[in-house]
Amino acid sequence: MKHVSPNEVAGDTRARGPTRRALAKQQTRAKVLAAARRLFSEHGYEGATIRDIASAAGMSTGAVFANFSDKSDLFRDIMISDTVALVAQMREAVAHAKGVEEALLKIFTTGYAYYKSQLPLARAGFTAGWAPQEGEMLRKLAPLRLIQDLILEELNAGVDRGELSPESGLKLRAEMLHDAYLANYPQAIFEGWSLEALQARARDQIGILLAGARRG
Amino acid sequence: MAAGGLRQTQKAATRGRVVEAARDLFVTLGYEGATIRQIAHAAGVSVGSVFTCFASKGEILSEVMQDRLEALYAELNRLAPHLRGSTADRLRSMFAIHFAFETAHVRLFLAHIAASYDWTLTARARPFGQNAHFRGLVEACLAKGVEAGDVAPEADLASIVELLVATYAWTYRLAAWENADSQTMTEAMDRQIGLIASGFAPR
Repeated sequence: MKHVSPNEVAGDTRARGPTRRALAKQQTRAKVLAAARRLFSEHGYEGATIRDIASAAGMSTGAVFANFSDKSDLFRDIMISDTVALVAQMREAVAHAKGVEEALLKIFTTGYAYYKSQLPLARAGFTAGWAPQEGEMLRKLAPLRLIQDLILEELNAGVDRGELSPESGLKLRAEMLHDAYLANYPQAIFEGWSLEALQARARDQIGILLAGARRG
Repeated sequence: MAAGGLRQTQKAATRGRVVEAARDLFVTLGYEGATIRQIAHAAGVSVGSVFTCFASKGEILSEVMQDRLEALYAELNRLAPHLRGSTADRLRSMFAIHFAFETAHVRLFLAHIAASYDWTLTARARPFGQNAHFRGLVEACLAKGVEAGDVAPEADLASIVELLVATYAWTYRLAAWENADSQTMTEAMDRQIGLIASGFAPR
């Protein structure tokens, strides 16, 4: 008994086993998510099936279902992690903004730049968002409200700095700005608008939506 | 020539039958629920004939919506010159007519919006958001406001039109996400128009 494999030590097995299993599970999830992201981008939300995703990830559909309850669960996971990453970038961008108008413009353009390289995924997001069942689940997700929350934060900061007048309509203004932000995606997706063109459109929209709230 | 003409006539007839059948099935089964096979069956034509007229279900949907809109625009064209009140109120009336018109088939309208993100749509399809006629009516309403003095002369009318159209479309999120009826959406749009109008009012 000179050599004892770690696996033969009961205490060790208990300490390492679950970690290894958790790690393997994490890797499986990551593999499925990467395959799903690619297929959603190539075939849209409706076009990508769990079977295709499993085969692209090199595993059985059973293995996929062990990690995700269904296709919309997979899609939600991608949307959430993307939105969280995007909002972090947006926050970084607004940190140096001079004034509320510039801050909002940076929020918009950071989003367009983020999705510029993965427009098919953005398109799949809109399709799923407007679909009767998938949409209902997607829109209930708190992380997907982060962008609108950030817009409202910036409006409030504008009020604090005295750029905007304090008013009850700020929340509605934030909602409308968020809608305007989303409404420009079809131009990017289908008409190939450049970031500059999107920025010009966004500047107009922000200008109109802030005009009524400006001080003086 | 005569044979070609006959073929064209037959094709137009098939097209009409398909659109009519699709309109009914989209309403009863939903856009996602209705299959091309069912539409063909209800229209009394083969699946193949459907595809000689339309490239996809999305294209049929855009035709169905286009057909319906003709009735709406006939009404709007008639009413628009007679609308009274401030520019904001005239805009509110125009959008209220839209919401009332779509109220019976909000699900279908949502499918129409969802389908506008479908990249398999061909150039012949006319997805939601491409309606130049509607934009023209809104812009005329704003131009009248410039004359009447409640829209700033330096206001960028084209941008305001785009913003109003985008706002209108996204107001349907209330139907999609909260099951809102047309009354609720109209009220939301009224507030949103008020907010936009406060921005284009002369200083």
